[in-house]
Amino acid sequence: MSTRFVPDQRVRIADRDAPGHVRTPVYVRGKEGRIERVLPRFLNPEREAYGVNEGGEVRLYRVRIEQSALWPDYDGPADDVLELEIYEHWLEQVDDRSGAEGR
Amino acid sequence: MATKRDMIVRPAHDLGGLPAGPVVPSDHEMTPFEKSCHALLNVLAAHKLVNTEEKRRGVEDLGAEIIGELTYYERWAVSASKVLIEKGVITSEELGARMNEIRDRLTKAAA
Amino acid sequence: MTNAHETGTVDHGDHTHGTPGAPDPHAPIETAAEEPDYFDVLHQAIRELLVDKGLITADEVRAMVETLDAHRPALGSALVARAWTDPDFKERLLADGTAAIEEFGIDNYDGTRLIVLEQTPEVHNLVVCTLCSCYPRPVLGLPPDWYKSRPYRARAVREPRALLREFGTDVPQDVTIRVHDSNANMRYLVLPMRPAGTEGLSEEELAALVTRDTMIGVTTPRSP
Repeated sequence: MSTRFVPDQRVRIADRDAPGHVRTPVYVRGKEGRIERVLPRFLNPEREAYGVNEGGEVRLYRVRIEQSALWPDYDGPADDVLELEIYEHWLEQVDDRSGAEGR
Repeated sequence: MATKRDMIVRPAHDLGGLPAGPVVPSDHEMTPFEKSCHALLNVLAAHKLVNTEEKRRGVEDLGAEIIGELTYYERWAVSASKVLIEKGVITSEELGARMNEIRDRLTKAAA
Repeated sequence: MTNAHETGTVDHGDHTHGTPGAPDPHAPIETAAEEPDYFDVLHQAIRELLVDKGLITADEVRAMVETLDAHRPALGSALVARAWTDPDFKERLLADGTAAIEEFGIDNYDGTRLIVLEQTPEVHNLVVCTLCSCYPRPVLGLPPDWYKSRPYRARAVREPRALLREFGTDVPQDVTIRVHDSNANMRYLVLPMRPAGTEGLSEEELAALVTRDTMIGVTTPRSP
């Protein structure tokens, strides 16, 4: 099974408007994290919400994001993380070597 | 104060990270309406008459004010009615007529 | 987002009322002949119309009510007790939650897929759905009102430690918190740690220690 992203790969969640129904919450858009695991493909909820019940399945991933990357004022330990599910079309590659600090 | 843009970009159901008060550890036993409404929506999803995402989209489209006032299952019932009419599964006319019939029936039964 | 939720509201758990000082909208109506509830009538009308059109049957809806009644947190408690006493089962549960609950005899009636999250001395897991009310219904039944409430959904992802303290759960600073936003297709069940001093207990006695809230991750099981 080849997938566009693999476990532990660094990714960015797209920062874009979503005028229709989506399952990518606003608070993670534009944030960076790592692929925690690869999940199956599912119907695209952005089409399913308008009655499209077959075809166009998209890969789903679990993404792990450090809390400090989500909330600049997070006051818990640096290891605290958040994990959530993101569809492939919301994920962007990040060049790991250039480092992702400061985003 | 939320700007007009915020009201669109941040739909009323997307709550992660917003300011909010303490969690009140509340719960209640389901009423017959709630149970029956939940069961109906599950059946509608199984038949893909109103799939889960359509139901959610229907709720989101109600807007912040209505979402805030209606209870959880009241939102589901309204969402289902709007999605079914929009898809042409039922018409507004027949739904309205059936609601009148049921209301008459219930009122007579209560009398 | 409007500010209507932030001040002067009455929070009923799953919804709020925005008019401070206004009469409670849920107060009993005094009139003798009470008008049937709009939403109750609406959902009955939908059901009747679709049954008449042959698209669903009344029996399906009745059977689904029974299914909802049959799925209670006790199923999850029994599942956890089995995982505590059978290491091979625990391994299967963590590897593939959906297959393991079906093996255990739980009807995965909503067709969702389950990920089981193990509490350890190093990691504390907490589950929330910020977008709606996604919840592992086959194993825990329907979610409590507070799980669907604005404060829980808004704050669990941003200040999990403060929120957990409100539930009486103080997670030490050397324990990592993993918050799981159940925002799409998967569902999550927390597998709590077996408390000390429970070596002699039967599976049934162990199950009694496993409350619903421990399987959401807001509390931990108490020693008997």
